[in-house]
Amino acid sequence: MDFDFPEDIVIARQKASDFAKKEIKPEDARVYDKQEKFPDDLRKKAFELGIVDYTNPWSMLVTIEELCRADAGMGIAATVSLFGAEVIMLFGSDEQKQKYLGSVQTGKKIMGLAVTESGGGSDVAGIKTTAKREGDKFIVNGSKMFITNGSIADFFVMLVRTSSPDGKRHHGLSTIVVEADLPGFTKNKLSGKLGVRATNTAELILSNVEVPAGNLIGEEGKGFYYIMTFFNISRAYVAAQAIGIAQGALDRILSHLGNLAKSGRSEEITEEIQFLVADIATRVEASRLLTYKAASFLFQFKPNPTLTSMAKAYASETAVFATEKALEITGVSGITGDLERFFRDAKIMEIWEGTSEIEKLIISRNLLKEASEGN
Amino acid sequence: MPSEEQDILKSAVQEFAQKSLLNNLLKLEREGIDDSMVRALATQGFLGSRIPEKYGGSGIDQSGYLVVLEELATFSPSVSALVMLTSSVFAQLVGDMDPEAVRRVASGEAMASVAFDSILEGNTTVEGLKESGKSMTGERKHILNANPDYLISEAEGSGFLYLIKGGIETKEEDQILSFRGIKLGTARVNCSTYVKLADNGKKRLAEVMDSLDLEISAIALGISRGALQKVIEYTKVRKTFDKPLKDYGPVASTISKLMSEQRVLEMALHNQEIEEEKEKLMIKVLAVDLAKRASKYALQFHGGYGYIEDFGVEKYYRDAMGLSILLQRSRSDNQRLAKEIFGEKSGYL
Ligand SMILES: Cc1cc2nc3c(=O)[nH]c(=O)nc-3n(C[C@H](O)[C@H](O)[C@H](O)COP(=O)(O)OP(=O)(O)OC[C@H]3O[C@@H](n4cnc5c(N)ncnc54)[C@H](O)[C@@H]3O)c2cc1C
Repeated sequence: MDFDFPEDIVIARQKASDFAKKEIKPEDARVYDKQEKFPDDLRKKAFELGIVDYTNPWSMLVTIEELCRADAGMGIAATVSLFGAEVIMLFGSDEQKQKYLGSVQTGKKIMGLAVTESGGGSDVAGIKTTAKREGDKFIVNGSKMFITNGSIADFFVMLVRTSSPDGKRHHGLSTIVVEADLPGFTKNKLSGKLGVRATNTAELILSNVEVPAGNLIGEEGKGFYYIMTFFNISRAYVAAQAIGIAQGALDRILSHLGNLAKSGRSEEITEEIQFLVADIATRVEASRLLTYKAASFLFQFKPNPTLTSMAKAYASETAVFATEKALEITGVSGITGDLERFFRDAKIMEIWEGTSEIEKLIISRNLLKEASEGN
Repeated sequence: MPSEEQDILKSAVQEFAQKSLLNNLLKLEREGIDDSMVRALATQGFLGSRIPEKYGGSGIDQSGYLVVLEELATFSPSVSALVMLTSSVFAQLVGDMDPEAVRRVASGEAMASVAFDSILEGNTTVEGLKESGKSMTGERKHILNANPDYLISEAEGSGFLYLIKGGIETKEEDQILSFRGIKLGTARVNCSTYVKLADNGKKRLAEVMDSLDLEISAIALGISRGALQKVIEYTKVRKTFDKPLKDYGPVASTISKLMSEQRVLEMALHNQEIEEEKEKLMIKVLAVDLAKRASKYALQFHGGYGYIEDFGVEKYYRDAMGLSILLQRSRSDNQRLAKEIFGEKSGYL
């Protein structure tokens, strides 16, 4: 067993790290955070320089880590403009792939994935937005909540109800591509988020929006399955975001403690602090191993949802733990510096793309199922 | 204060908060506490609640004061911190040295700020103010309550503690984690009117901060109660998979255990027989820890809604962390506690 990455991934990580050092400066991160501004120039530059390139998932995974290590808000904003693309890639028609994927892969366009509604996010099958077939169109009515890229995306992969559930709640759901400029489609940017404030989040409202029937992705009624498949991929990337945040917090703790030692204040680095540093570093390393193992299954097209959920939940909890302890260790200098932003950013990891509670349900249900099947 | 009187006071604070604070909570977090709110707090006697009547305060006893702090923090930790800063920190440090300044601050005519970051943890350098014998000049970062008329700060070099009366220009700092209602600021001072409060500024500031164990516990318990009340209401009505969240075991048991800790700590806080320093410190250490955990779970069980300011939950999460750094010295508290438990200096390695 070899734990080293192949050389091209090592190079990709270095490239992303250099890019982050140059382009994601703490002073800029502070401004984007405070003003809740989307760093579109950064995003474009990341595409131009080939930093964002989802055709190589391994290099994307380590790139996300490195960018979020510098700043999660800007790092995510720069890498999330293809959010939902895998649904089209895996289940869309050739025509859809050509029409929609090319432009997002080059960074010319931005897309989003619209699943959550005000009535519920964890309970995906509980969504209420409907798409009624009328001739060669779907008429879409409803709303979506907390949608990343919501007010800047050119189009969305949207989960809608196309028929009643027939006894099973997750039946009758479908995924369609909804372009952002259609009549009847309004977006309200949400402000006042706790963290990741450089990312764009919006509420979407659809009132009799006419979507061509050809925008149905894959088969009608299979939407729930497509979205769950998607989450099994995207959760590995969220784990990478969380690892980046936790590593970023650890970097800053070590630098703070290094400064204390240099200025003759080593006695302030008590055993309590040393134990915390050891705990954080151990959890970051464990998160990495879990995430890379889950990704290794995933990227070889044999996804292991149990492992992916473990990685996502564990890395997210690690990010929250690391940033919380980082503030406790660094005190005033942390709270008046960048770490307070890391602390606010980290908490979203335990919420989006499956809350920690939902991940834990998935893990134990899978384990129980495997056990009952005698595996 | 007898417990019936505490209950009456509690109702009075709640009534005030419901009338004057509840509809302004978001504005207060976004724009800070404005002059009219400061005056309203002063008119009700809350701002100077612990300040003796001879200095224009309400002179209520400590048990009543803790009720005021806890109830206000349930709605707005920033407002409660402002009251503590005014009624306890400023008034204790100034007292007889300048009764007029205390009176003006208690009445809401003037605002007070204290720079005590030099005694807080994680401070690498403290840039101070220079005192020349005739004037006080320079810049001081990280002052809590960003727009003061009076500033208490140490001077660089001598370490003397001064009350600076005017000549203060402030700039709000970018720190947006905690206490957004009062904010952190950088003060630029050019002043010839100042009063020396103590020779050893650091020591005096530490004495005052360490005497506020129960006050800080009250704010912490206000934060946790505010967060827990919200999450209990929310999980009763929010449904996933056709069931209210409160029906799920991990949700209900987590909240129930936190609520049990809350109740036990509140009983301890309001037990007027608690006199020993050790016990006060024990309450504080546990209360601040509870505030952090309760606010974290309250946010988590609100899902996406917990992450945006409109639901008023995330502020408890931010302020609980801010409380533990800006108003508490947790490592020194742990060592104080260890010393009490072991009877000699312990836990410092
Ligand atoms: C900044 C941001 C960006 C987002 N971006 C997107 C996006 O691009 N696209 C998108 O579709 N969505 C997006 N979301 C939505 C996000 O995925 C949801 O918020 C998340 O899935 C949780 O759903 P909810 O908010 O409805 O919480 P709820 O589902 O109401 O859950 C509330 C709480 O109850 C817990 N809970 C629920 N059921 C159970 C149970 N059975 N047992 C125990 N606990 C339970 C949850 O874990 C959570 O703690 C975003 C959210 C935010 C805040």
